[in-house]
Amino acid sequence: MSVLSWCHWLQNTPWATGIRQSDLWFPFIEGSHILALSLSVGLIVMFDLRLLRLVLPTEPASKIMRLVMPWAIPGFGIMFVTGGLLFFSQAEKAYSSGFFRVKMLLLVLLGVNAVVYQMKYYPSMAEWESSETVPRGVQVIAVVSLAFWMVVIACGRLMAYEL
Amino acid sequence: MSLQHLWQMSYDSHTIDILRNSKYAIPVIQSFHLFGITLLLGSIVILNLRLLGIGFRQLPMAALSRQIWPWAIGGLLLAIASGFLVFVPDPARYAANYAFRTKMVALCVAVAFQFLIYRKVVRSGTAESRSIRNIAVACCSLVLWFLVGWAGRAIAFLG
Repeated sequence: MSVLSWCHWLQNTPWATGIRQSDLWFPFIEGSHILALSLSVGLIVMFDLRLLRLVLPTEPASKIMRLVMPWAIPGFGIMFVTGGLLFFSQAEKAYSSGFFRVKMLLLVLLGVNAVVYQMKYYPSMAEWESSETVPRGVQVIAVVSLAFWMVVIACGRLMAYEL
Repeated sequence: MSLQHLWQMSYDSHTIDILRNSKYAIPVIQSFHLFGITLLLGSIVILNLRLLGIGFRQLPMAALSRQIWPWAIGGLLLAIASGFLVFVPDPARYAANYAFRTKMVALCVAVAFQFLIYRKVVRSGTAESRSIRNIAVACCSLVLWFLVGWAGRAIAFLG
């Protein structure tokens, strides 16, 4: 079975049809997906800005990370669940959308970006987090994160406009 | 000059035709609207979690608000500027939309609350500890800003 026919099957399951045709659930799920940006991407943006020393530069970066993550992780949980339900309800169109594919690709790359940070720079945070010079690699990771999240948001908006 | 007149003028303007006729202009501007919202609501969430005393407690409220405030303002200005560009090509449609009207009223109340009351509270020494007043102020701020957000989302669903 091809992916497209799987998507066709998925969006025609009773649950998916129910969400798509609901005057209440669809706007609620879509609204939650957008407003949870504040808790997910909004908080990660603040951590990226701290890595670039553009916000709270006198506070250790690891402290900001410790304070941000307990809220950002549930935020991304909401994004994943609501985003999954939105996909579920319009799987065929979403899968066919170029914007959706770019969005998914960038989400994977953002995951890789985060893993690189965790493996390469997180263990040595104590050495540089309070100094005025942040390693070049950390700056690159923060800028990549900010830029990719912006494109992810734009792709989400553009794909919804076409659906 | 009445508001009606202003809408008609902007509807007739040729510059705005570019926004109206391009396939991607509006969703691209809306993306910038979302960048602004992400920055603004992210900042609002951080300040309010701190004011509620349930997050960011290891940071002093005064320092946190001083550092976060400019980013909140930046997000707000980006959202307003991009929102205005979405509004001008089709002002009559938005003006007639109840969700849009609710959004504008809620936005004015939220901005007034944030600048007149909230700013004073977070900059006073009494914002550090948990109190009924701080919890009430944080809840008002969260309800107002998320009402603006939900009303904004509802514009599309009310036609």
